[in-house]
Amino acid sequence: MLMGSPPDDLTTALAACAKGDRTALRGIFDREAGRLVTVAERIVRRRDLAEEVVQESFIRIWTQAHQYQPDRGSARGWIYAIVRNRALNLLRDGKREYTVEDVEVLRERDQVDHVMAAWHQLDRTSRLHDCLGALDETKRRGILMAYIGGYSHGEIAGRLRIPLGTTKSWIRRGLSALRECMA
Amino acid sequence: MTDNRTDIGVIADEYVLGLLDAADGLRVEANMERDPDLKAAVAASRERFLPLDDTAEAAIVGDDLWSRIEAGLPAQGSRTGAAHKPTANDNRPGGWRATALAAMVAAVILAVALSFNLMRTVEPLVVAVLVNEAGDVKAIVEDFGNEKAAVRLLTDFEVPEGKTIEVWTLPSAERGPVSLGLIDDARSVRLNGPSLPKPHDSQLYELTLEQAGGSPTGRPTGLILAKGFAKIAR
Repeated sequence: MLMGSPPDDLTTALAACAKGDRTALRGIFDREAGRLVTVAERIVRRRDLAEEVVQESFIRIWTQAHQYQPDRGSARGWIYAIVRNRALNLLRDGKREYTVEDVEVLRERDQVDHVMAAWHQLDRTSRLHDCLGALDETKRRGILMAYIGGYSHGEIAGRLRIPLGTTKSWIRRGLSALRECMA
Repeated sequence: MTDNRTDIGVIADEYVLGLLDAADGLRVEANMERDPDLKAAVAASRERFLPLDDTAEAAIVGDDLWSRIEAGLPAQGSRTGAAHKPTANDNRPGGWRATALAAMVAAVILAVALSFNLMRTVEPLVVAVLVNEAGDVKAIVEDFGNEKAAVRLLTDFEVPEGKTIEVWTLPSAERGPVSLGLIDDARSVRLNGPSLPKPHDSQLYELTLEQAGGSPTGRPTGLILAKGFAKIAR
């Protein structure tokens, strides 16, 4: 299910980072930074902020490399989680809202587009595609909006025009169904 | 919140999707270190959703981004180095961002105004506004400098069974963190602390989650719930 080079490369690179090898971090950068910028940009919506997120994340990858263990999942999943967390934290600081010059225009444009675009690009032979595809449209959309776009429960409820409590329980049920389907 | 094993999958997924609020997210991160099932659930959840990240087309990044990263890299082995704000314990080094501390400055104004109204008769020497990692104001500590301090909780803290909230301060780096007391039922309290030098400007105050009865080591060992630096009440 992992694409690109085998995960062992990244595991090895993280171990080298923990020992102070900067070329190992550069290796991770060369391989993943471009995609990580896009992942962050899907959440923070601005290229400059996305680069800021990736910059901070690489420093965190460097300082926390010694904490990575295979029981935390794949090295790649661990690295992407750091970037997603940084991007989400930046959102929670309200930076996206305050620094975007024309908030209204941004909101008017259908920001859900890029979320659905990601769904359409998802590898059709993947288990995740099958299992997400088996969910009701609303549940699938809610889960994709959260993971890809970094939307909160409240934002999802507002955009899908369903009550907050309903949104929460639908997403929960969707997630449970997904877990069972992929188990 | 992880008592029910069947909930672990839900919590892990909501954490990975970013649907938990900052405090719950921090709790998951702390619990993960003690709960292998939760750790495994988070790892599995990350792997499940990772193919969605693979749909991201790689952006073209310039060398300048790498230069900025390289310029900011601390030497390995000095993880709690000079770049970080002082902290009373080292269980989560570097986890607190400058933005959280900046948010605090604004909140100090509110806190000073608040304490002026509430404590008209006895003035605290210093007031510290404590924020969580996301910068949300969680509590205010008023230190009266006479072995008495008041902690005002401004939010609900979920304290798991067998745990308590402990209040700490760092009078000086040499002395290290000192416990001011426990907040047993997660409500605002007045504490009778040990005899300490007069609290000073920028003194650190911190709330951590410890085992019932307080930290066994006499030093903070658990998750930092909130922290902040004191301002002298004028």
